[in-house]
Amino acid sequence: MSKANIPAGRYQSGRYQSDRPWSAITWVAWALAAAATIQLAPNPVYVVLVIAITWLVVVEHGLDGPYAKAFPILVGAAVFFAVLRIVLIGLTTHGNQDVLFTTPSFTMPEMLGGFTVGGATTAPVLLQAGAEGLVIVGIIAVFAAFNAVVSHYELIQTTPRAFYELGLIVIVALCFVPSTIEAIRDVREADRARTGGQTVRRGRLVRQVIPVLERGLEKAITLAESLDSRGFAHSGATARARGAGWIGLVALIALGSSFTALVARENTVAIVLGGIGVIGILFAIAIASKETGRIRYRPRSLTIADRSCIAICLLAPILIIVLSIAGDNTLTWTPSPVRWPAFDILPALALIALLAPLTRRPITNASAISEFNLSDEDSVLAVGHSDKVALP
Amino acid sequence: MTNRLRPSLVYLLVGLVGIAAFLYPFWLPANALPSTAHSADAPLWTAMISALVVMALALEVRRGTMNGATVAVLGVLAASAGLLRLIELPGNNAGIFFLVILGGVAFGPRFGLLLGLTAMGASAFITGGIGPWLPFQMLGLGAMGATAGLLGRATSHLTPRVEVGVIAVFAWVWGFVYGAILNLWSWPLFQGNGPTLWRPGLSVNTTIEHYWSYYFTTSLAWDAAGALFNAILIVALGLALLATLRRFAHRLEPVVEIISAPKAISLETIVSIDQLSRRD
Amino acid sequence: MNAISYRQVSFSYPDGPTALNEVNLEVIAGEVLLVVGSSGSGKSTLLRAANGLVPHATGGRFGGDVVIFGRSTISHHPRELADVVGFVSQDPEAQLVVDEVEHDIAFVLENLGLSATAMRRRVEETLDALGIAHLRYRAPMTLSGGERQRVAIAGALAAAPSALVLDEPTSQLDPQGAEDVLAAIARLNSDLGTTVLLAEHRLERAAPLADRAVVLSSDGIPTPCAVADALATYPGAPPVTRLGRLLGWDPLPLTVRDARARAAENSLPFATNIETNSRESSRGGQTLVAAESLSVELSGREVLHRVDVSIGAGEVVALLGRNGAGKTTLLRAFAGLNSASHGRVNPTGTVAYVPQDPSTLLFSPTVRREIAETLKLLGRRDAGEVDAWLDRLGISHLAERHPRSLSGGERQRVAIAAVAVGGADVLLLDEPTRGMDALSRTALERAVQEHAAEGGAVVLATHDVELAARCASRVVVLGDGDVIAEGEARIVLAGSLFAPQVLRVMPPFLTVEQVNHELEGV
Repeated sequence: MSKANIPAGRYQSGRYQSDRPWSAITWVAWALAAAATIQLAPNPVYVVLVIAITWLVVVEHGLDGPYAKAFPILVGAAVFFAVLRIVLIGLTTHGNQDVLFTTPSFTMPEMLGGFTVGGATTAPVLLQAGAEGLVIVGIIAVFAAFNAVVSHYELIQTTPRAFYELGLIVIVALCFVPSTIEAIRDVREADRARTGGQTVRRGRLVRQVIPVLERGLEKAITLAESLDSRGFAHSGATARARGAGWIGLVALIALGSSFTALVARENTVAIVLGGIGVIGILFAIAIASKETGRIRYRPRSLTIADRSCIAICLLAPILIIVLSIAGDNTLTWTPSPVRWPAFDILPALALIALLAPLTRRPITNASAISEFNLSDEDSVLAVGHSDKVALP
Repeated sequence: MTNRLRPSLVYLLVGLVGIAAFLYPFWLPANALPSTAHSADAPLWTAMISALVVMALALEVRRGTMNGATVAVLGVLAASAGLLRLIELPGNNAGIFFLVILGGVAFGPRFGLLLGLTAMGASAFITGGIGPWLPFQMLGLGAMGATAGLLGRATSHLTPRVEVGVIAVFAWVWGFVYGAILNLWSWPLFQGNGPTLWRPGLSVNTTIEHYWSYYFTTSLAWDAAGALFNAILIVALGLALLATLRRFAHRLEPVVEIISAPKAISLETIVSIDQLSRRD
Repeated sequence: MNAISYRQVSFSYPDGPTALNEVNLEVIAGEVLLVVGSSGSGKSTLLRAANGLVPHATGGRFGGDVVIFGRSTISHHPRELADVVGFVSQDPEAQLVVDEVEHDIAFVLENLGLSATAMRRRVEETLDALGIAHLRYRAPMTLSGGERQRVAIAGALAAAPSALVLDEPTSQLDPQGAEDVLAAIARLNSDLGTTVLLAEHRLERAAPLADRAVVLSSDGIPTPCAVADALATYPGAPPVTRLGRLLGWDPLPLTVRDARARAAENSLPFATNIETNSRESSRGGQTLVAAESLSVELSGREVLHRVDVSIGAGEVVALLGRNGAGKTTLLRAFAGLNSASHGRVNPTGTVAYVPQDPSTLLFSPTVRREIAETLKLLGRRDAGEVDAWLDRLGISHLAERHPRSLSGGERQRVAIAAVAVGGADVLLLDEPTRGMDALSRTALERAVQEHAAEGGAVVLATHDVELAARCASRVVVLGDGDVIAEGEARIVLAGSLFAPQVLRVMPPFLTVEQVNHELEGV
């Protein structure tokens, strides 16, 4: 890959325009690793650690935009709903150890379950529910962070080619959002202006929704013409796609059969069939994605740095699994009897691996960008003559 | 007839496997999972299975060519639906529902399914809600759109006002069904012995009882408000929106009639278009 | 060698109307063919038939054949013609799919299955051919209209097609954007030899770059001929052409330069450069709405700075200025839609505002109901006002049609009627002639002048200098939030880059009608 004229300040990865140091795939790996870690080590101490890591990641890598700002809101909402669940469980589940307090109780009518609300509220129940609630909050925090740091366009572009059309629809939708917002604004104003500045409430919804929708659909028709004229769906249904479709069908049948086997308590059969199903679908996707006739233009490929980061992130859940097999019992926490959650340094070290994305910082320097544009021209001329830029 | 049979088979299987994935608390036997401590993983496993099901669906979609108009109209409607979700309305996703349902009624079951999938996908991008719950949501909304399409086929010959009424009832019912489906994702994450909790190995009856108690106390009121709101929106906007959507239906699957015209036309035999087509 | 051949092409849409009837047309390879005609004359259908959008994407009944570079559009779907013909339509907002200009240009190449190196090279060439290399990483939604249209053209051009079909590419753009787009098209034709099939309303700029032109009408399609001859009897021809026709010049001029040359060669039956009595500039009767020392801030930026403008009864005021100068803001302030950060707007009469995009208003199933809706909202009963306005704007024959099925110019007129029927004293029109054909423009001008004559007032915010020259009594020029010129139309328009074509050829006349008037007087 030609390194000529690429100034420092832009991350190099086959297509060097991105200010974001990690590719979307890296972020997906990170999110999955973090979520898996939470599931595998649901001890509240470790979960809190992971949540703290996700917060750091958002602070460092959060893109400007609504998602970064939404992170605290989403986590807050998750906490709220978790607390609701805890209250509900606390009020309805009764034991007799470590009673905290007793509330007046009443029994729900038979139709609604016939259980007792109120009564003795026990500490173990509350703590258990609290720990589980924390796990939910942790998962939501991981994915809220993921949304805040990943570029959604890049994400769609890295989806396998098998899902090209669906991905395109989502891209079109995202492109239409600002236009729709503008349309809503314009329509509301036009409605007010029609009657000389006063708002008439009667029938207002119809008067405003219909023009927005019609405008959107008319633009959709123009877009459709543009897509058709530019050769969209040129290759049609190839043999590969058909083959992939059949494999997918067979895989689905395998999955369904594995469920039946589970019900019949034939666990080995179920696992085998389930495995066939999963592998089958993945294989079908791989086939459908390799279709020739559609090469992506300058996709962002994974650099060595990306791969290392992915490897390190995946290390976290793997280490946890190793520790759990080796008999580390601090990974889970059962609060009956009531006691403090245990803490061991080894799992905590494994969690540190999730900090890998923090080793690179995103570019926020505007001058680096303008420098880049100038020298891009020179390297472009070189490209035209010698095709030195390596392409995937 | 394999052309029609195959997709129908796939959609049927998708439905069955999807439903099985949703409803696992009701049939998953106790010894299916390695240990009770990890039965809380069950939701994530089903998330994976739902994701695979969605992918299988996508493969089927890929197999049939999609034209530019379908992509464009789906994109626009998904954008509007996504924006609606941003507005805080009673019920979790009330805003999206009525657009997906009306879109399904106007354009058919396959479009409704795709609209449900992509509207949820797009709105997840817009609201920043990508996560393991997403495949569940996509399948649920896709089912809503697909069944709306089937409903649309049945009601297209009714008078418009009656049709809108039927659709409103349909939407009201789905408000609850969707809420019930979605809750299934997070319900099993809390373990224990309480009457609103799940343990693997409970009998079907007990599981239903527990789930109903849980649903009733946590989200029934919420979903009822959402379902009612849905129905109201459809009654208020349904007539006009359906008419608008149906006007664009012919662009999605254009019917082209080619008339061959004679090479040379003399003045005496100036033929009109009508006569030409009648000749063919 | 013919690039595109239409042979006995007939087409009717699924809902009935016949758009093309036995059309024969030959487009020569390498030429720029200009297609002119009012909306509804089949222009769009004709253009879309060239790349197969008609009938494959629209549905309908299609007879005859269109052969483009040897391929028949009957047997080829538009996607199979993407490598020989590119298509661009008028909406700059709705043609770009992806988040980055470079990727959007590569879209067609991905669809055609080119190798990665070939794609790279083509994209670079296309960016250079249209001069948009500096925009390559930008998101389309951050671009201006003119830039977006050029990116759309690039997207169509990346496949190196031999022909380019453009359906009114500049109609939604401001003059600067239109200039850029037309210049790019001209360069493509001269440098690359691309055949161009172009439909346009703005003939002042488009006519000079065409080789041949053809005017469509309901009677069918004549054979294309030289532009000046084709436009000889067309009411929407550029003012200098109509001037030449009036004064009997031969050959008819298409540009101001040609017209000046003709004027120098031919003697005129009257003297120019004299002070003539202009139109009675009514400083107007009683003031109906006035902005007093008005400042308006939008998103933190001061868009209007202490502006003083008053509108009197009987006036037609044209508001001119570049994009961003504050024209729309001033109109909206008059209408009470913007709040003032300083100063105030003082309305003594009722004020109604027609926005730039007419489709924001239209939602009823018929035109008549749409117009009657305003009366319903105001709580009044229809005392013949609906019919009066239908008549005044020349759309009575469209009364039972669905407003959304109408062309742009017709929709605009429906929107104006729907707002004006409320009986407001002052009508504020924001860019009313954008995308309008000549017929609609004439109807609009007539309605505007009638309204003013009855004692109302009309304010037009526009880029269209010819419109201002024809109907305005007073002109206000805004620049960067200030009023930089105000006064009688003749005086204000004379001094600047806003001069209408006739004024540049033979001052002090502003329009062909004024010259005609003078001729008749002699």
